[in-house]
Amino acid sequence: MSWAWENRAMLAGYTGQHLYLALTPVLIGLVISLPLGIACARWKWFYPPALTASSVLYAIPALALFIFLIPYTGLVGPTQSLTLIIPLALYSLATVLPNVVDGLRAVPEPVRQAATAMGFGPLRRLIRVELPLAVPVVIAGLRVATVASISLVSVGALIGIGGLGYLFIDGEQRDFFTTEITVGLLLIVLIALAADAVLVGVRRLLTPWLRGREVGTP
Amino acid sequence: MITFERVTKRYPGGTVAVDALDLEVPAGKTMVLVGPSGCGKTTSLRMINRMVEPTSGRIMLDGRDIRQAKPAVLRRGIGYVIQQSGLFPHRTIEDNIATVPLLAGWTKAKARARAHDLMELVGLEPGLARRYPHQLSGGQQQRVGVARALAADPPVLLMDEPFSAVDPIVRASLQDELIKLQAELHKTVVLVTHDIEEAIKVGDLVAIFHPGGRLAQVDSPERLLGAPVDSYVENFLGFDRGIRRLSFLPAAGLTLDDDAVIEVGMPVADALRACKQSGAPWLLVIDSQRLPLGWVSPADLEMLPAGARVGGEALTPYGHTFSVSTDSLRAALDATVLSRTGRAVGIDADGRVAGVTSYDSLRAAIHAADEAAAEAGQGGPARDGPARGGPARDGPARGGPAGQGAPG
Repeated sequence: MSWAWENRAMLAGYTGQHLYLALTPVLIGLVISLPLGIACARWKWFYPPALTASSVLYAIPALALFIFLIPYTGLVGPTQSLTLIIPLALYSLATVLPNVVDGLRAVPEPVRQAATAMGFGPLRRLIRVELPLAVPVVIAGLRVATVASISLVSVGALIGIGGLGYLFIDGEQRDFFTTEITVGLLLIVLIALAADAVLVGVRRLLTPWLRGREVGTP
Repeated sequence: MITFERVTKRYPGGTVAVDALDLEVPAGKTMVLVGPSGCGKTTSLRMINRMVEPTSGRIMLDGRDIRQAKPAVLRRGIGYVIQQSGLFPHRTIEDNIATVPLLAGWTKAKARARAHDLMELVGLEPGLARRYPHQLSGGQQQRVGVARALAADPPVLLMDEPFSAVDPIVRASLQDELIKLQAELHKTVVLVTHDIEEAIKVGDLVAIFHPGGRLAQVDSPERLLGAPVDSYVENFLGFDRGIRRLSFLPAAGLTLDDDAVIEVGMPVADALRACKQSGAPWLLVIDSQRLPLGWVSPADLEMLPAGARVGGEALTPYGHTFSVSTDSLRAALDATVLSRTGRAVGIDADGRVAGVTSYDSLRAAIHAADEAAAEAGQGGPARDGPARGGPARDGPARGGPAGQGAPG
């Protein structure tokens, strides 16, 4: 552990980079999947093709996507992190989109009708009634996407943009320096748990009405 | 006032939900739309606030075509209560109730104050204001639904099967409360139900629909029960409409027998003479305050020694009573049927004995009411007769089924 202490500045740097590389795609995925999910929930015919497209993207291996993107975004220079962020954003989109649609569809029909009958226009109803009620399901999707993204960033180490993943490559090249590999692993697990805890906290904050009847996930 | 003028709703598949409906809902009255499923009653209701647009015809609200207003604006002036309450799960009770006032631009403080007033009006504890809907019982949620619909004080209230998701006891109390509320607020209410009993109980007017969206009959409940236009309506009303109709006739129309009432302490000989004179098979013994004690028969009296006085003990219980001033003929009939002596005790507002019934007196009262109805003729619904608004309309809750076996 003295190794970790001596290299704490480097570890902090990689941790920060890792978080940036993992969370930016999730945020992009959320920002795209919200309007897309709203469209899918409103126009039913639109959902199957959108879902198929995002699933196909999800099926493409990360490494293949990196290689496909390298000619456009490069391995060095100002756009290098996009080589990693774009594929991860697509994965996040594929994970979060179904949850946005499911969350909106789970709004009980009487609630929707009551809102309409009371004089909510479509937009106001969406913002004030439907989206707030979809929050728990959307955040459940975000949790999966976040943990997956944090884990996937390390694959980026293969192309030199990998946050804490660097420690695995470096450890391997230094004759299997297990301390470095273990520390990298522990840090990744730790930030995954922390990010998940933050999301649970956000959900609790946004859904005070669920307090006292929470079911399933902690 | 809401007026349907030749309103038809035809769906793309060709199904006709509502067929050339002409219907007038007078201001301040409760109109109940009732019929089997698929009869177009809910579609008709939803056309009033433009949740469904008619294919042809038009709907007027106080003389204005409802299509002149934007749907969202129109709807803020029309309260809406839905089955399962449709409360917003993510909003507290007070915020749910304050929804329409807030949409209409009231300040938060004013809207909240209004919500608290309404909670009181519909009988909700103030402590529930900060709770969420799922923390309330079904009956409480439905009360919140009614409060929310009334929040902006709309002149019109639409209720879509509002009480069908709660158990029968809660349902009955919610119905009573709606009647009470309506006596106070005089909203123009349109209520949809499949339950004819509910329609008869809460409606000033009842519209019975045929399957396929045609109107079978619109009338006051007592006229429906008294004069259904065809066998469809008659079947829909159920087998005991003759008995149920009596709910709308006041017990005050009964001629009560006072000769068969004797005071405790009367010499037995006098009592026997009273018996012979009135020909009554039973005498009601009362105390000096005219409170009932029980029944005694001539045979019982004859077993007493000569010179004795009528005692207050060993009497046949007087059973259920009915209130002459507030109960209906149905309550009087029910009390008579349940009585071991075939007679029931009518009491006045102070609980003192006004007299006793017999089947003869009931028959005479029903006959007189029919005569009066025939005289009033086809002059439209005359609804202000019997006392309304109290739970007394169907008589006090009783154990036994009243009047079964009586032909409908």
